[in-house]
Amino acid sequence: MSEPEIVPDIMRISWGPQHPMSGQTRILLDLDGEKVHRIIADLGFTHRGIEKILENRTFLQGIVPIERMVMADTPNIGICYIKAIEEAMGVEVPERANWIRSLVCEMARINSHLYAFGLQAESTGYFPAVFLWTTVDRAWILQLFAELTGARWSLNFFLPGGVYKDLPEGFENKVIEGVHYLRRRFQKYWDAMVENYTFEMRCDDVAILKPEDAIRLGATGPVLRGSRVAIDVRKDEPYAAYRDLDFEVITEDACDSMARTKVRFREIVQSLNMMEQIAKEIPDGPVRTRVPFFARPKAGEYLSRVETARGELGVHLFTDGGMNPYRVKINSPTLRNMYVFERLAELDEILMADIPVVINSIDPWYLDSDR
Amino acid sequence: MSRVPESEFVEVMKAAYGDKIKSAEVLRSKRASVLVKRETIIEVAEALRDEFGFTIPVSGGAIDYPKEERMQMMYYLMHPEERFILIYRVDLPREDLRLPTLTQVWEAMSFHEREAHDMFGIEFEGHPNMIPLLLPPDWKGGHPLRKDFKGEGVAE
Repeated sequence: MSEPEIVPDIMRISWGPQHPMSGQTRILLDLDGEKVHRIIADLGFTHRGIEKILENRTFLQGIVPIERMVMADTPNIGICYIKAIEEAMGVEVPERANWIRSLVCEMARINSHLYAFGLQAESTGYFPAVFLWTTVDRAWILQLFAELTGARWSLNFFLPGGVYKDLPEGFENKVIEGVHYLRRRFQKYWDAMVENYTFEMRCDDVAILKPEDAIRLGATGPVLRGSRVAIDVRKDEPYAAYRDLDFEVITEDACDSMARTKVRFREIVQSLNMMEQIAKEIPDGPVRTRVPFFARPKAGEYLSRVETARGELGVHLFTDGGMNPYRVKINSPTLRNMYVFERLAELDEILMADIPVVINSIDPWYLDSDR
Repeated sequence: MSRVPESEFVEVMKAAYGDKIKSAEVLRSKRASVLVKRETIIEVAEALRDEFGFTIPVSGGAIDYPKEERMQMMYYLMHPEERFILIYRVDLPREDLRLPTLTQVWEAMSFHEREAHDMFGIEFEGHPNMIPLLLPPDWKGGHPLRKDFKGEGVAE
């Protein structure tokens, strides 16, 4: 960061990166009394150069580092890169593999949203128990991941041409069982939290982001949909099995921190419905088309987009006919939403005490914005 | 002229701004690309926003072609109704990496231009806040995403 400017009556405080609520970033807050005058996000603490790493890996090897972008949401990141590779290689994915991909992606979305929901509860200061509830409930999803893929977090389960292996015996029934369990839990979350007076006091009408501002500032994901703008890549460019699944784009009208939290909450419920539909209707067939390990796709550029839990992710893959990508440009959702966060103090009055609530309503993942 | 699918957009773009751009093409469904001349980048960008309705700034980044002695800056834009992505590109010679900032058209390109400055050394003239985004403030190691970047401590 540059030298601090001295402005009379404005106090600048540095929040993070050691603060328990800030995550791996630093946020500079210019305060005018209790009121936040200006927000400056100082990113880059977790920059690992993933784009450069990918240039030095073969296409298949690159799947491992790129999934490290968002640990709570690895399949949604991996599928974006894999879709670009498949387009470059001209590989067809079998129908059953597409359905399995959608199942795993939706499970990861629930995992990620539950984590965000727990943090939001934590940041309102009154609900340390809810974070523990979500942790316990996430364990159910992680257990299913472990059974399916052998890993709980970084799955590396998708490959160009399909998925690594078929669902184990009786997996569909376990999914349905878990869906029923989580539905019961969500009623509890809703009663204890979303309709709770204290939670409403902390989140309602805090950091209002009007639809035109959300579009102008490039918001994406639940932040955009919490501002009444119905944009979801799963609907616009259906990938995996989303063409055949019943779902709608969830929006909220209130445009505040509560609306963004509610969008996430309702998306979890919708993902559960999708998981149940997949478990019941998944078609039979092969799950993988073999592709050569050291494939050399023809030169060209391929831009693939997916909807991750945090919003639209884009991977722009440039190939030059070699074994490695020539360049991979990653359009990360958190970077877009962090810009919105920087500008929020100009759009609405935010108090210093609201900052944890506001930043967790954006649901940032700094490893995603820094890459 | 707010609802235009990608092929129609390319035709209209070529007819209306043919002398100000170098090329316009449809890459595949839902992907269009416009390569603009450096002198007219602001003028065409304003037309894209106001006339064609590309109001959603998605991202921005660059790519290095050392063999052809050029770099390319790319801006990713989305059309809110037709939902297709436009890649708005401009070529820069490697010895003269100056470009007027597009934050005056799409404010949200600020972070992406700062990142391109870190990673490729492109100078965005008139950018309101050109400080490093991802690299440390005292970084002296060069521009990491350039093809000729060797990394600190790597012998030549």
